[in-house]
Amino acid sequence: MLEFLQNSIDTFNNSHPIIQSCIYWTLILIVSIITLIFYLKNLRYKLRIKGRIEATYQKKYESDLIEYLYAGDDININEQQKQIIKYLKKCAENGLKRKIIINTFLRLKDDISGETADAIQNLYYQTGLLDSATTRLKSKKWNTVARAIRELTQFEIKEAHDDIIQLINHPKKEVRNEIQKYLVKLFRFDGLEFLDVLESELSEWDQIQLLEILNKFNNLHIPDIGNWLRSTNQSVVSFALKLAKIYKQFDAKDDIITLFNHPNTEIRVEAINLVTQLGIFEAVEILKKDLFDRNLDEQIAFFKMMEEMSMPDDLAFIEEHVQHENFYIRISVMKIMNLITVDSNNTFTINNADQNYIIDKNLTIAS
Amino acid sequence: MNLIKKIVLAEDNSILSKLLQFKLEKEGYHLLIAANGKEAVTLIENHDPDIILTDIMMPFVSGLEVISHVRNKLEMGTPIVVFSSAGQEEMVLNAFNLGATDFMSKPFSPNELIIRIKRLLQ
Repeated sequence: MLEFLQNSIDTFNNSHPIIQSCIYWTLILIVSIITLIFYLKNLRYKLRIKGRIEATYQKKYESDLIEYLYAGDDININEQQKQIIKYLKKCAENGLKRKIIINTFLRLKDDISGETADAIQNLYYQTGLLDSATTRLKSKKWNTVARAIRELTQFEIKEAHDDIIQLINHPKKEVRNEIQKYLVKLFRFDGLEFLDVLESELSEWDQIQLLEILNKFNNLHIPDIGNWLRSTNQSVVSFALKLAKIYKQFDAKDDIITLFNHPNTEIRVEAINLVTQLGIFEAVEILKKDLFDRNLDEQIAFFKMMEEMSMPDDLAFIEEHVQHENFYIRISVMKIMNLITVDSNNTFTINNADQNYIIDKNLTIAS
Repeated sequence: MNLIKKIVLAEDNSILSKLLQFKLEKEGYHLLIAANGKEAVTLIENHDPDIILTDIMMPFVSGLEVISHVRNKLEMGTPIVVFSSAGQEEMVLNAFNLGATDFMSKPFSPNELIIRIKRLLQ
C-alpha cells in the first residue's frame, strides 16, 4: 500500500506540468464539493430544527393568545390575562420569539374584526411590542427599520407618525417605500403630505402602489395638489398630474397650464394630455401661440388633444398642417377636419332614387 | 335524539380555527375542524354536520370543490357559509352558483358569524 502511494507520488512528480495542474484542480474541486455537501447538510439540519422550534412556539403563542382573548369578559384585564401579558413581554425580548408572536397576532388580526381585533391591538401595546418597533426605527440596519415600519403599518399604529416621517428621505428606497405605504394606508390623502418634503425620486412603481392604496378609499376630500404640481421634484410633479387626472382636479388648471413650460419634456407632454381629461379649453390658445417652438412630442400631444377639443374656429389653423411631415400629426389633422367639417365640407352626397324605378317584388321576397 | 348541533369548519388558518372553536363551543355547538378541503370532505361524509363553514382558498382541495362535492356528489342540503378575502368576488359568485348558502368577507366579526349560524339553523 505504502509502495503504491510512493509510486503514485513519483509518477505525479515525473508527469507533465499541465497534468499536474489538472490533478491539483480536480483535487480542489472534489474537496470543495465535499465541503459544500457537508455545509448544505448542516444548513438543512439547522433549518429543520429552527422550523420545529418555530412551530412549537407558534402553537404555544396561539394558545396563549386565545386564552388571553377568552380569559375574561370584563373590560378590565384580569389576573390570568396579566400573567399572559407578562409572559409574552418576556418572550418578545428575543428576536425570533418576537417575530413568531407578531406573526401570530397578525394572522388572527387579518381575518377578524370587531372586539377581538381591538383586543389583539391592545395586547400589542401591553406586551411592549410597540416600544420595540419604535426603538427599531432608530436602527442603523435599513432592513430592520423597513421591517419595523411594515409592522407598525400592519398594526395601524398612528402614534408612530412623527418618528416615521423624519425618515422620509432615508437613503434606502425600500425604507422610503415602506414609509410611503404607512402614511397613505393610515392617513389616506392626508398622508400624501410627505410629497412636500420628498427629495428623492418617487418611482413609477411607488406611484402605482400609492394610487392602488388610495383607490380603495371612496368619497374622500382630496387636498390641494397645487404645491405638488409646483414641486422641484419631477417625480412628485408627475405623481400630482396622475392625481389630477384620476380625481379630476379642475381647480389645479392654472398650475397645469404653468407646466407647459416645465424643463422636463415628459411633464410638459403629460400636462398637455391632461388638458383633454379636464377640458381646459383656455389651454388651447396658449399652446397654439408657441406650438412650433415646442418639440415633436409636444406637437403630437397637442394635435391629439385637439382631436377632442377642436372648435370650428380652429379649422384654418388645423388646415395649415394637413401636409405636416409627421405621420401622427397628419392623422390627427385629418381626424379633426373630419369632425369639424362634417356639416360644411362634407363630400358625401345622398343620391335620391329615380322616380320611375320599379321595385321587383319577387326579388324582395326572395331576399 | 342528539340536540347538540355539529359544525364542520374548513379553515387553514389554525389560530382562526381555534378562536372560532372557543367561541362556537361556548355557544353550545360541537365543532369539527379541518385544516384543508380534503379533511373537510372526510369529516362531512363521516359526521353529517348541521352546517358547514369553509374558507375558499385552502391547500389540496379548495372551498369551491368542497361545496361542489357536498351538493353534487353527497347531494346534501346542509347550509354552507363561505369565507372569502378581498379580491375573491368572482370566487364568491362561483360558490353561490355551486350552492353556497351565505358568505362572509374576511376580516369578519365572530359575533356576526354566530348570529348567521343561529339564523341558518333555525
